[in-house]
Amino acid sequence: MTFDLSILAQYWPLFVKGTWLTIRICLAATIIGYVIGIVLALLSQIPSRAIKAAIEIYLLTLRAIPFIILLFVVYYGLPFSGIRIPAVITGTIALSLYASAYYAEIVRAAIEALPRGQYESARVIGMSALQAMRHVIFPQIVPTLVPPSTNITLTMIKESAVLSSITVAELTYQSLVVQGNTFAPFEAFAAVTLIYWAITAIVAHAASLLERRFGRARSEHLVGSALAASFLSLEAMPKRSRR
Amino acid sequence: MSATALSVSGLTKRFKGSAVLDDVYLDVARGEVVAMIGPSGCGKSTFLRCITLIEQPEAGFISVAGKPFGREVVGGTVHRQPRRAVDAMRPKIGMVFQALNLWPHMTALENVVRPQVVVLKRSRDEATARAQKLLADLDLADRGDRLPHALSGGQKQRVAIARALAMDPEIMLFDEPTSALDPELIGGVLALLKDLAAGGMTMIVVTHEIGFAANVADRVVFMHGGRIAEEGPPGRVLKQPGDPRLQAFLSLIRPAAAEAV
Repeated sequence: MTFDLSILAQYWPLFVKGTWLTIRICLAATIIGYVIGIVLALLSQIPSRAIKAAIEIYLLTLRAIPFIILLFVVYYGLPFSGIRIPAVITGTIALSLYASAYYAEIVRAAIEALPRGQYESARVIGMSALQAMRHVIFPQIVPTLVPPSTNITLTMIKESAVLSSITVAELTYQSLVVQGNTFAPFEAFAAVTLIYWAITAIVAHAASLLERRFGRARSEHLVGSALAASFLSLEAMPKRSRR
Repeated sequence: MSATALSVSGLTKRFKGSAVLDDVYLDVARGEVVAMIGPSGCGKSTFLRCITLIEQPEAGFISVAGKPFGREVVGGTVHRQPRRAVDAMRPKIGMVFQALNLWPHMTALENVVRPQVVVLKRSRDEATARAQKLLADLDLADRGDRLPHALSGGQKQRVAIARALAMDPEIMLFDEPTSALDPELIGGVLALLKDLAAGGMTMIVVTHEIGFAANVADRVVFMHGGRIAEEGPPGRVLKQPGDPRLQAFLSLIRPAAAEAV
C-alpha cells in the first residue's frame, strides 16, 4: 500500500470548505457558549434557592450526558416542537450549550475564589451588583480564566466532529465524503488529523500568548514595578529556555 | 438639615435562630464621634455590616440624615426599599473595612476616582481633582500611581479612607481600624481619625483602643450579647462603669485602659 497523494490533490477544496465551516462553528459556539456561561455564573450569585437549583440542574444535565446524545436531543427535539432550522444551526446551538456548562463553572469558580470583601466594598460604596462585577470582580478574574477556558475550547473543537452525524458538512463530514468516494480512508483521515492538529495548535498558542500577557500584568501588580516585572517575565529568562 | 446623622431603631439580626443583634437603638448626632467597644462576638462588626446593609437585618429601621435606608414605612406598612434607592443612599455611609478591601487591580488614585465616576456620575476630571486633593491631604500625594500591593499598611488604610471620603458621606464607619496595623502605625491612624473628628466628621469607630475611646470619642457604647449594655460619655463609662460586664471587660484590658484614663 502506498500513500496516495493524488487524492488530496483532487479533493482539497472539500477539506478547505470543511475546515472553514468547522472554524466558523467553533468560533460561534465559543462566543455564544461564553456569553451563556457568564450569564449563568452571574445568575448563580443571586441569593435565590430557586435560581441556584435551576442553574445546578442545567449544569449537571449538560455535563452528565455524552455530547452526541445532547446533539441528537436538540436535532430531533426542535422539529418535534415545531422549530425547523438548518442542521448547521442546530449543531452550533448544541455545541454552544455543551460548552456553556463548562465555561459557567470556570467563571463561577473564579468569582467565588475572590475574597468576598472585594464585592462587598464595591456594593457598600454604592455600585450595583453588575457595576461591581464589571469594575471590581471581572478585571481581577479574567487572567485566571484563560488556561481552563482554553482546555474547554480545545475539547469543544474536537467534539465538533460529532456534528458530522447530523449531516453538517464540517471537516469530519468532508473526510467521510472523500473516503466514500475514493475508498482511501487512511489518506482522508490522515489529512483531517493534520488539519485538526493545526487548528488546536493555533488556538493553544494564541491562548498561551494571552496568558503570558496577563501573567506579566499580574506579576507587575504583585511586585508593583514594571522593572521588577520584566525580570519575572519570560523576556528576562536565558535564551535557551525560550525554544 | 437634620441634626441626626444616623438613627438606628430596633435593629435585630439573627444567624440560625440566635440573635446576634437584639433590638439595638442608636442615634448619632451630626459631628459626633461614637466609639464602640465590647468583647469579640458581641455584635459590633455585625452592627456595622447591618447598618450598611451588607447583611440584611431581620427587623429595625435605619435612617441617614433623616432619610430612611433599607426599610421605610409607607401608608402604615413596612416596605423594603427598591435596590436602586438603597444603592443611591449607600455613598452617604462611608465604610472602612477591617481588611480595607482596596481593589488590587487599580492604582491608589483609581481606587478613589472610579466609585465617584461610576456611582456619583462625576466627570473623570472632577473625580480625579477631588481624589488628588484627598490623597494630598492624607500625605499620599506621590503614591497615587502605585498599586495597593506596593503600599505600606498605613498608606493602604489612608487610601481606603480617601475612597470613602470622596463620596462625601454623612457618616464614616471604621471597623477596628488599628487591628491590622503594626504597633508603630497605630498612633498615626488614631491621629488621623482625631483630625477627621476635629473637622466635624460624624463617625462610629469599632475599636479595642480604649485610649482612642477616652480621648477622641464623644460617647462610648459598650456592646454585649448583641445589645447596647451601657453608653455615655467616655469619662463616666470608662472610669465608673456601672454594668458588671463592662467592669469585667475593662479589667481584662486594664493595662491599656489604665494608661489612657
